[in-house]
Amino acid sequence: MTRNAEAALLAAAAVVASMGVALVNFATGNGFDAQVALTFLVFAVSFGSVHMALRRWAPEGNPYLFPIAAFLAAIGFTEIYRLDPGLAAIQRWSLLLAGAATTTVLLLLRDEGVVMLRRYRYLFLAAAVALLLLPLLPESWPLHGAEVNGSRLWVRLELPMGTRSLSFQPGEIAKVLLVIFLASYLADRHLAMATTGRRIGPIGLPEPRQLGPIIIAATASFAVLVYQRDLGASLLLFALFITMVYVATGRAAYLVTGFVIVAGGGFVAYRAFDHVQRRVVAWLHPFDDFADAGYQIVQGLFAMGSGSLTGSGLGLGRPDLIPAASTDFIFASVAEEMGFAGSIAVLAGFALLVAAGFGIAIRSRDVFRKFLAFGLTIVIAVQSILILAGVLRLFPVTGITLPFMSYGGSSLLANMVLVALLVRTSHGERT
Amino acid sequence: MPALFLNLLKLIFIALIYLFLWQIGRSIGAHIGPSQSVRRSKKGGELVVVRSDTIAGQRFPIGAPAVLGRSEDADIYVDDAYASEFHVRIGVQDDSVVLNDLGSTNGTYVNGRRVTVPTDLQKGDAVQIGKTIIEVR
Repeated sequence: MTRNAEAALLAAAAVVASMGVALVNFATGNGFDAQVALTFLVFAVSFGSVHMALRRWAPEGNPYLFPIAAFLAAIGFTEIYRLDPGLAAIQRWSLLLAGAATTTVLLLLRDEGVVMLRRYRYLFLAAAVALLLLPLLPESWPLHGAEVNGSRLWVRLELPMGTRSLSFQPGEIAKVLLVIFLASYLADRHLAMATTGRRIGPIGLPEPRQLGPIIIAATASFAVLVYQRDLGASLLLFALFITMVYVATGRAAYLVTGFVIVAGGGFVAYRAFDHVQRRVVAWLHPFDDFADAGYQIVQGLFAMGSGSLTGSGLGLGRPDLIPAASTDFIFASVAEEMGFAGSIAVLAGFALLVAAGFGIAIRSRDVFRKFLAFGLTIVIAVQSILILAGVLRLFPVTGITLPFMSYGGSSLLANMVLVALLVRTSHGERT
Repeated sequence: MPALFLNLLKLIFIALIYLFLWQIGRSIGAHIGPSQSVRRSKKGGELVVVRSDTIAGQRFPIGAPAVLGRSEDADIYVDDAYASEFHVRIGVQDDSVVLNDLGSTNGTYVNGRRVTVPTDLQKGDAVQIGKTIIEVR
């Protein structure tokens, strides 16, 4: 009975989280306190409710996706708690909220499953575009956009009673909606898009009018880059479009075209926008200006280097020296305090998650579910690779969250819903 | 807290993480491994060639084990340049339809996965030999 295995593994993930919190407490001299029990409770309630929903509405769905997600969330939560118990307290609420939202999504899909989503594709497209545009709302409105670290991808809702405000990143939700739209659109159009127009040598070119979606994708990604100054989301969106079209049509020409556009667009962006230029320079020569532009990358490198094989131990390193240690650079924090061993475990977790997702896509029989599973998986894959490569200095820092691990409610919620859609997709397919 | 104790705790925690990953990896292995792909099938049915340049649409009842291949001497002739002379044997054994690859050069794929050991087939499975696809119905 695979769902029992899921329950056991989810409980184990909750134990990992509370053990981690206990370890941090030992290191700081607090010993066992309410935080340990509270952490276990929050993980148990959040993932437990999702688990019960799966038992009821997707009993044959893949039972390993949520345990892996819970495991990554546990490692991430431990590190967030270590960096700032105040943030961890907010993250606990996010976990509960994400669990509730995921359960709700599974409830809505209980009868027809993900196939139901196929009908509402233009609704999802409109919603995604609206969400992407939300951060551009003027500052004077109660619901307005906000700029954080030079990127305008936040929306803030000022609550009427005083100084409190709620912030979220609508782009995180938009990416899931876009995957649904693309899967639905391509399920109808992939045969037409696979036809060849002219041939140049061995490469068959697609019909010019079938290139429309690609051009729209490139324009949209570029717009995100220009108006929200968000390199990460821009690349993520474009990679999502290109890989989905490639997989749907099986035509390498789309991949080649996409790569050329990225290379060309990247060069233009590097020349035209100084926020892109700064990141590239900080990536190539972080030590030239280590006190300022290269500071984050350099601190990340030192943190990972000092982590050595098994790390400094939770609560015993100095990951607090890294800017954005609990969000973008959470991997560097983990690498410092849990060492090479801990970081490889995290990478293994992502690898297992992505492999299981692609497995679902391969086994799905109808094209919509195939494309949906593929698209959802590629979002996780590309997003984690982009930010991990940024932290490891294989790529400029793109400033997107590491799924499940980074501090942040929008990201957690969107990724949990994403995994729920994957599990629901695998329900009803033979394994 | 003494440093030795904290160091020990650190290692225990990492061991716990790996224990968790090991459990997941093992479960996934059991989930997608061959043990699950051995499936029971009631009886017979037929083989339908769903993709082939020349023999698409042909049907063959499944009964006693029959050899499929490119040779004229094979029980079922598969007109495919990538098929071996005697490529694969399919037939009813012990109440289930069993597929045996006969050491073919280019392999036999069931639902896209290459099979090298005797494999039980179920209705709806797609058997690929070279470019030819045969469905169990």
